[in-house]
Amino acid sequence: MGRLDGRVALVTGASRGIGRACALALAAEGAAVAVNYRSQAASADAVVAEIRASGGAAAAFPGDVSDPVAARTLVERAIGELGGLHILVNNAGITRDGLLFNLEPDAWLEVMRVNFGGVFHCTKAVVEHFAAQGGGVIVNISSTHAERGWTGVSTYAASKGAVSAFTRAAAVELARFGIRVNAVVAGITDTEMVGSLTARDGGRGVTRQIPLKRTGRAEEVAAMVVLLAGLENGYVTGASIPVDGGALSTLGVGQPL
Amino acid sequence: MTSEATLTAVRQSVVEALGVPADDVRPEATIFGDLAAESIDLLDILFRVERKLGVKIKAADLSEYVQGGIPDEQFGEEGGTVSAVGLAHLKTVMPQIDEAALAGKLQAERVITLFTVQNLADMVTARAGAGVR
Repeated sequence: MGRLDGRVALVTGASRGIGRACALALAAEGAAVAVNYRSQAASADAVVAEIRASGGAAAAFPGDVSDPVAARTLVERAIGELGGLHILVNNAGITRDGLLFNLEPDAWLEVMRVNFGGVFHCTKAVVEHFAAQGGGVIVNISSTHAERGWTGVSTYAASKGAVSAFTRAAAVELARFGIRVNAVVAGITDTEMVGSLTARDGGRGVTRQIPLKRTGRAEEVAAMVVLLAGLENGYVTGASIPVDGGALSTLGVGQPL
Repeated sequence: MTSEATLTAVRQSVVEALGVPADDVRPEATIFGDLAAESIDLLDILFRVERKLGVKIKAADLSEYVQGGIPDEQFGEEGGTVSAVGLAHLKTVMPQIDEAALAGKLQAERVITLFTVQNLADMVTARAGAGVR
């Protein structure tokens, strides 16, 4: 018996990284999982196969969530093929990092379209279904970059700031419909996305600044997603919960250098 | 003809969505006037009606229902008041109105403020009868 038996979850950008970990963790708790991907069909199929091999239910659904029509189609297909929808995990994200001096003028827009646009479009696509059934849970994957600055990540930071602000506003607006909206604020997490950060020097330049002295694992972010998704009748909404090894609690690097 | 069960379910939906005492939600209470519902309240009311009765009504359907498919230029007159044609139709969906008293005075945009709990229950009944789900 899992905590999410009988539930259906949709995870955007679930072919790899944090999204993949969320799909596996939700399935392990009994949820049927819609594994969304944009371009990595083989990886998404592998996630589906892994879930099914463990006795779970899952299916892969292509769709670029930055496109409102694609997002709506994705949600409708997931509901149709998996028999409902109760949990949405807005995870799909990209980076276009670089110094402000060098970024192309529309670099921010590309990042915003996916990282915030995906959250917005998928949220809009589920609210009517959730409200009609009397509730649902939305978990957005935000980032410590939404809260604190770092060189070279301005577009990503701004997009995640939008996700965190949207999480609060949407939570307030949707609460009366039984829809809870929360964010998991992921710290530096071991995925392809941050591979270049940790490649050099075994990542010590990064991990020395984190109280727990290591980067996070995607499974640790996913565990918090499951917790938030499972509190179906819970009292937690509008929250941004850090899973960051203590990074956001730190003043400077946490000690004299 | 609206059944007691439908009226009760609609009244309950309004009570729950607005968080007002059940006694205030009389059939003749106007939803946007007496009960001061806002647009988000209407959405909440309609989702609750859908769950209780299985009848799906969108917020935009309300004004369509009230106007009865009469084109704007026939429904309203110059100056924005509701025409005689418009009032005659309104009397069919909102039988409580006094058309004579409203003739030449009712602004088209104010029509929805006359919509009562009973009117909504009647609309739900009409939709259920039409098989709209």
